[in-house]
Amino acid sequence: MDLDQLELNATVDETVKTKPYYTALVGWSVQAIEAAARMNRPFVVVGPADFETYAAKHEIPFVGWDFNKLNESSDHLYKQLKDMGVELAVPLYEECVEWAGALNARFREDPRVFNRSLLLRDKGMMKRKAQISGIKVGVFEEAHEKEDVQRFLKRVNQALLKLEGDHLDPIHVKPLDKAGSVGHLAIYNNEDIERIQDTDFPLLMESHLDGQEFSCEAFIHKGKVRFLNITEYVKLGYSNFVPASPSLEEKRPLIERAVQQLVDAFEIEYGVIHPEYFITQDGTLHFGEVAARVPGGHIFELIERAYGFSAYEAQILCSDPNTTEEEIREFFPDPYDYQNYAGCLMVHPNVDYVEDLKIPEELEDHPYFEKHDMFTPPQGKVAERVGFGNHYGTIFFYGRDSEEMTDLLKTYEQYNFYV
Amino acid sequence: MPQTTSALVERFIYALDELNKAPSFAKSKYQTDVYQEANRLIEAEDGFENLYQHAGRLEEAGVFQDGPWEAAEKLQPPLVAGSLKAKGLPMIIEVLSELRMLALAKGKATNPNVSPKMAEEFLNEVMVLNLNLLFPDASESSRIEKHENDEKAGRLFQFLSTHLSSSALIQTLINEIKRLTAQRPIMVKRIVSMIKMAKEMLDQDSDEQGKTELKQFISAIEGPSKLSAQFNDVHAYRSQLKTLTRTDLISESVALAQSMRETGLVAPHHATLIRFLSKRNPALLAYALNLNSKGSANLEENRELVIQLIRASIFPATRQAIYGLSMLLERGVLSHSPVAPGLRRLVELDIRPDVRNALYSTTNTGEGVTANSILVAGTIQVLGQPLGVGQGFNPTCQAARGISLWAQHAPGFLLEIIPRAARDGDLDFTFEGTPIHSKELTGGLAPDLDKELDPVSLVLVPHLDKIYSEMMTRVALRGEDGHRWVNPAFYGNWVQKGFSSVFDPITGYVLDYPGFVKLFYATHHTEYNDDYELIYPNPVGIFITNVHGKLLGLHAVSITRIAKDPSGEERIYFYNPNNDGSQNWGQNIEPSVIGNGEMEGESSLPFHEFVSRLYAFHYNPYEQGDAYAVENSIVDGIRQLAQESWGKDYTWV
Repeated sequence: MDLDQLELNATVDETVKTKPYYTALVGWSVQAIEAAARMNRPFVVVGPADFETYAAKHEIPFVGWDFNKLNESSDHLYKQLKDMGVELAVPLYEECVEWAGALNARFREDPRVFNRSLLLRDKGMMKRKAQISGIKVGVFEEAHEKEDVQRFLKRVNQALLKLEGDHLDPIHVKPLDKAGSVGHLAIYNNEDIERIQDTDFPLLMESHLDGQEFSCEAFIHKGKVRFLNITEYVKLGYSNFVPASPSLEEKRPLIERAVQQLVDAFEIEYGVIHPEYFITQDGTLHFGEVAARVPGGHIFELIERAYGFSAYEAQILCSDPNTTEEEIREFFPDPYDYQNYAGCLMVHPNVDYVEDLKIPEELEDHPYFEKHDMFTPPQGKVAERVGFGNHYGTIFFYGRDSEEMTDLLKTYEQYNFYV
Repeated sequence: MPQTTSALVERFIYALDELNKAPSFAKSKYQTDVYQEANRLIEAEDGFENLYQHAGRLEEAGVFQDGPWEAAEKLQPPLVAGSLKAKGLPMIIEVLSELRMLALAKGKATNPNVSPKMAEEFLNEVMVLNLNLLFPDASESSRIEKHENDEKAGRLFQFLSTHLSSSALIQTLINEIKRLTAQRPIMVKRIVSMIKMAKEMLDQDSDEQGKTELKQFISAIEGPSKLSAQFNDVHAYRSQLKTLTRTDLISESVALAQSMRETGLVAPHHATLIRFLSKRNPALLAYALNLNSKGSANLEENRELVIQLIRASIFPATRQAIYGLSMLLERGVLSHSPVAPGLRRLVELDIRPDVRNALYSTTNTGEGVTANSILVAGTIQVLGQPLGVGQGFNPTCQAARGISLWAQHAPGFLLEIIPRAARDGDLDFTFEGTPIHSKELTGGLAPDLDKELDPVSLVLVPHLDKIYSEMMTRVALRGEDGHRWVNPAFYGNWVQKGFSSVFDPITGYVLDYPGFVKLFYATHHTEYNDDYELIYPNPVGIFITNVHGKLLGLHAVSITRIAKDPSGEERIYFYNPNNDGSQNWGQNIEPSVIGNGEMEGESSLPFHEFVSRLYAFHYNPYEQGDAYAVENSIVDGIRQLAQESWGKDYTWV
């Protein structure tokens, strides 16, 4: 090949690579929009119609969509996006996962992409798939009414050879399609069963798993885990930090294998997944559940603080089949390459009625303290907590020692910031 | 170790830079950090100074974007105090907004919609409205209402005042004082404290015009004559009076009276002088009150009674009643036969302990005035200045309107209910044949009455408020605006029986607005109503709108007169019991209190502008002119004003 030809070829390659296709961000997340804008990627947001005015004001390309409405006209969304030049959909929250799956199935002309996304939206199906693939899970069943729950509680404890009058081992119930911990209840007895809302059925019941719970955020491209973050839970739903403490982090090779096994079993090719596991002292891993969206608990922010890359950018990058190996390699750091731990505490008032905010000086003066986002509230009744969402504020920490971090998070979890 | 201010400044700059870099749609994500860091600086030493260093960048960086403070040109000075008192975020953003305004005023930043002059005027207005925060006084009320953010707000205003031109601030203050005194309110406490504040701010740099104007007000409350200025202490002044010749006494009287007439404010020496004259030289009282011929005649006719009233009620502590007394004499109220015995009865009235305490709270401790003296003085004021009655901080415009109306047209009735309330703790009104006793009622619009009221209102409003509310409750289910029946029963037969409202009673929709407007023209406008004169004040309901024309609520005022102003324009003159008769109502509708033929205490608007805010009025069904003759162009103009202001909050059919 002589020089002229070489140049010509390079130009052709260039045009193929920079072909201006659009990325659809499905859901609403300012951070994700910011990431897309920062990456100079053409994008369009498919979000709830409520955001239309805001999007118009700030010139964000926007398509309003009601994710709860399923009907034949859903096809319009695909056509509309296709006409705009969209070739890729990235889901931002739970309810958008199957929408992004449906769109990507059409964009890639691979119907199974949609089926795989549905797998991630039904906790029963997810569990079954994991079991079939030889991943360790607890005993589980689906329930359609309270009697199913009563029977399951009884049968699990029979299997554990409990006698009449013994304390029962708890079971857990969670609605099949709700995000994270929404509707999650631990059931110890028949009275607890009465607390289940009728709207939470059908739900998944499973036996209680012992061990330390943690989550992973795996960035996947072409079916391979390209970066795995391990998040340590200090108290589920209240505090966590990134990366995990040395005792958990030393199990990384084991965990990496387990996550890759999960990715293979679920045939996940692109994007980010957020599985939760339980690990026992002897290193046995039990799979809890997995979601394919931005995790809660400010985990993406903590990853950015600890590892120095934007997890939102990583998600978009990994969701795109056109991303090259080289780009991936350049983007992700070595998972062992971090200076400090980044943690956060989600504060929820411990009282029913808040009047004032008290931030202790020793907290703000602690070298690990970075910032918080709480303001003295207007007086008022505290809203009931849904899942682990709607916390009143978050405190961010950053520091060298994971034990000090754990202590801090435990100490202030007990503290009454709102009085 | 607590963080140093410089560390906090660094954190603030970092947060502000991050916000500045953020694309417009992501500002909200970074604003929180800026507010947090600003809050830490507000608490810190020299915090305002440090924040102000960056105030020029705040707007551009997006600190106010997408929030209520976004558009600087739409901000309103009266709302600042509320935000500063609010907990948490509103306080922080309000502080930043004030610093932004200061940066705009100083040319450190520019905004296409806010010129430096506008920004400075805004801040001056804010300062004048919050003088109590700038100069905390030790009064009882400010002690009780002490608020946890007051200290921060106080420091903010101190900071702003060092950067603002004191002459401009003083000028704003003077304008505010002039505007308020023009209405001759009975309660002058706020005016007096403003004058004192302005005086404190005066320094050698103040400009001459401001100084001269302010001097008149200062001397009006501190000693407007040579002698009173020289002997500021009233005891010394009193001894000096004994040494004066008749001629000197006359010139002293004239000086004090003139100042009182010009400003509506009375110096304590004036009370000393009046008491002195009433004993030694009653013939000079006419000078000391600066009476016109009608007033002098009235004084002559009732000299014994007037001397008795002066002895019973005119003290330095109740000095403002001297102005009331002058006006009372000029109005000829004492010639009404029930007035003299009615006033005499108050001098020796057996006042209930709770009322007694309420009355005492109007004077400072140690002034040694009896509750009866305060009540008599207050009654003289109400009878002399019926349009000076105010509702204070209470939502009791109805009661204030009643007291004002009776003081004008039914002094005998007023003098009947004052002792009933003060002595018996009860008022009874008959409504549609059934008696209503206030002592049997609870509630009302103002169960916790703010005590910043004139003595007569203090005594009567708690009862009147409950009675009015009870009457409204009784007619609540009639499917029509209750004021139709309640107003004539409450205020008396002076209120006409015809009644019209813009609302359809069942749906609350605005119904046949043109018909409503035409009826008002045909019954009130001199060109269409066959020249029937308005004889008694007409209690009407109006929509109160803010400077942007947005509906704030419903309010009660009384139309006092309808006449052509000096320039020949037909105007509606009205009494607004909120004592601030010149608020800006938006759409360039700004009631004036002076300069358009207003009498003391009246507000006025061009006829059509007033109509555009009207929602209900009474009329005499037998005195209607030609509704059909009202030009459509007039009606359309009013309709447009209405629809583009309060009308946006209602359905029109």
